[in-house]
Amino acid sequence: MGSLDSYLPIFVLFVLALAFAGLSIVASKLLAPQRPTSAKEAPYECGIVPANEPPQRFPVRFYLVAMIFVIFDIEVIFLFPWAVVYDQLGRFGLVEVIVFAAAAFFSLLYLVANGALDWGPVRRVRPVSSLQSRTTASTVRRVGTGSGEAA
Amino acid sequence: MPDPLFAHGVGLAVIVIVVVKALVAFAALLVATMLMVWFERKVISDMQDRIGPNRAGPYGLLQSLADGTKLFFKEDLLPDRADRFVFRLAPLLAVVPAFLMFAIVPVGGVVTIAHHVVELQVADPPMGILFLLALSSVAVYGTMLAGWSSGSKYPLLGSIRASAQMISYEAALGLAVVTVVLESHSLSTRAIVQSQAHHVWQWNVLRLGIVPFVVFLIASTAEMNRPPFDLAEGESELGGGFNTEYSSLRFALFYLAEFMNTITMSAVAVTLFFGGPDGPGFHFLPWLWPIVWFVGKTVVFCYIQVWIRASLPRMRYDQLMDLGWKRLIPLSLGWLLVVAGVIVSVAWGFALLGAGIVGAALLYQAVRVGRRRRDASLSTAASATAVVRPGPPAPVLRSLDAEKAGS
Repeated sequence: MGSLDSYLPIFVLFVLALAFAGLSIVASKLLAPQRPTSAKEAPYECGIVPANEPPQRFPVRFYLVAMIFVIFDIEVIFLFPWAVVYDQLGRFGLVEVIVFAAAAFFSLLYLVANGALDWGPVRRVRPVSSLQSRTTASTVRRVGTGSGEAA
Repeated sequence: MPDPLFAHGVGLAVIVIVVVKALVAFAALLVATMLMVWFERKVISDMQDRIGPNRAGPYGLLQSLADGTKLFFKEDLLPDRADRFVFRLAPLLAVVPAFLMFAIVPVGGVVTIAHHVVELQVADPPMGILFLLALSSVAVYGTMLAGWSSGSKYPLLGSIRASAQMISYEAALGLAVVTVVLESHSLSTRAIVQSQAHHVWQWNVLRLGIVPFVVFLIASTAEMNRPPFDLAEGESELGGGFNTEYSSLRFALFYLAEFMNTITMSAVAVTLFFGGPDGPGFHFLPWLWPIVWFVGKTVVFCYIQVWIRASLPRMRYDQLMDLGWKRLIPLSLGWLLVVAGVIVSVAWGFALLGAGIVGAALLYQAVRVGRRRRDASLSTAASATAVVRPGPPAPVLRSLDAEKAGS
C-alpha cells in the first residue's frame, strides 16, 4: 500500500457517509407512506399543467463555457506542481509562468472580444401569435370540473 | 511530509485510531450541520426583525432535528418522467462529497496517543487541497444530474445554470488556491497551516495581499450555490431550482449537503488564509486551544456567509458570468504573477504589477470591442425587420433603442 495509507481515513469516512445516506433512504422508504398518483408524479410547474416538453436543445453558450472551462482548468492544474517547486525554480520558473499566463490571458482576450463569454439577453424578433394558444383557460386546471383531472 | 500516523505501517492500533477519527468527524459534521441550519435561520430572523425558530428545544435548537425527522415520514415521490437510476443516485453524489471534503481540514494540533503521533484532522494526504477541488467538482454532478434526471423543465434549467456557474468559478477558485500553494510549497493542508503558524503577519490573508482571499471568498460562495449566487434555485423563476422534484429524505440530503458545504468552505477559508488552528496557546490543556481557535474562526466565517445571504440580492445570470470570467479569473491570474514575482525579487513584483495594469486595460478594451460587435450585429438584424414596418425610419443608435422601435 505505502503512500495510499493516508487515504485510509478518507475511505472509512466514505463508507460512513454512504452508509448514512443509504440507511436514511431505506428508513424513509419503510416509514413514509407511498400513495403515488398521476398528479403527484407529473412534473411540478406550480400548478400549471405542463404544455411543452423539457427543452432538448440548449443555447450553445453553455457548451462554449464548458469548453473554455476545460482550457482554464487545465491551466490551473498545470500551475499546481509549478507552485509546489517554485522556490527551487527561481527566475526560470517565473519567466516560464509569465509565458504560460500570457498565452492563457491573450486567448481570454480573444474570446471576450469575440463575445464568446457574453450572456446578455438574446434579442430576437419573435412572432407573438404562437403564444396566444396558452391562456388561463387552457393551462390552469380547474379542480372538480371533470376533464383533465387526476384519478 | 506524509501523515506520521502511518510512518510505522498499519497496525491494529492505527486502524482503531483511524476509525475513531472518522467516526468523530462524521458525528461532529452532522451535529455542526444541524446547528448551522439553526444558526442561519436564527441570524437571518434577527436581521429581518423576526423571532425565527423557537419551539423545538431551548431557543429552537432542535428545530433542524425536528424537520429532519419529519422528512423521514414524508412520501418520497419519483416523477414518472424521471430517469429512475440517476434520480436516486444524484442525492448521494451531493452528500458523500460534502462529508469527504471536510476530511482534509486540520481542526487542531498534533497529539500523541499510545506512542502514535496523531494529527487532529481526518486525513492528511500529500495532495491535500487538490482533493478538495476534485471533490467540489464531483459535487457539481450531484446538482447537474439531479436536475437532468427529473424530467421536468425548471429543474433542468436550474441544473444547467448551476453547472455552468460552478465550472466558471472553479477556475478562479483554483487560481486563488495556487497562490496559497506558492507561499507554502506544499499541497498538504497541514503544511499550509504550519507555514502560517506563530504570528498573525504570517497568515496568508496578509502575506499574499488581501486579493486571493477575496477571490476565494467570492468564488467559494458561488461554488456552493449560496446567495447571492444561488441561481440554481431561483425560487421566483424556476419554481425551486434543481431540486424541485425531490421530496422527503432525498430533498433532505441535498439540504444537508448544502449546509455541510457552507461549514466546510468556511473551514477551508480559515485553513488557507487565517492560519487554521493557529492562535495563542496556554499551558492548561494545550491540545484544546488550537481546536477552540479553529472552531471560533470557522464560526466567524459561517456568520459572514449568513450575513452575505441576508444582505445581498441575487445576481442576474449575465452579471454572474461576467464577474467570474472577466473579473475574477484575470484578477486572480494577475495577482498570482505578482506574488510569484515578489518571491523572486521586489523589482519583478512591480514589473508584473505594471504588466497586470496593462492587461486590465487590454481586457477593458476587449470587452468594449465585444459589446460593439454584438450591438452591430443586432442593429443590422433590427433594421432588416424594420423594413416591413411602415412609418418614418428611426435612426438606429443602440440596439436597445432599435428593439424598442421594432416592437
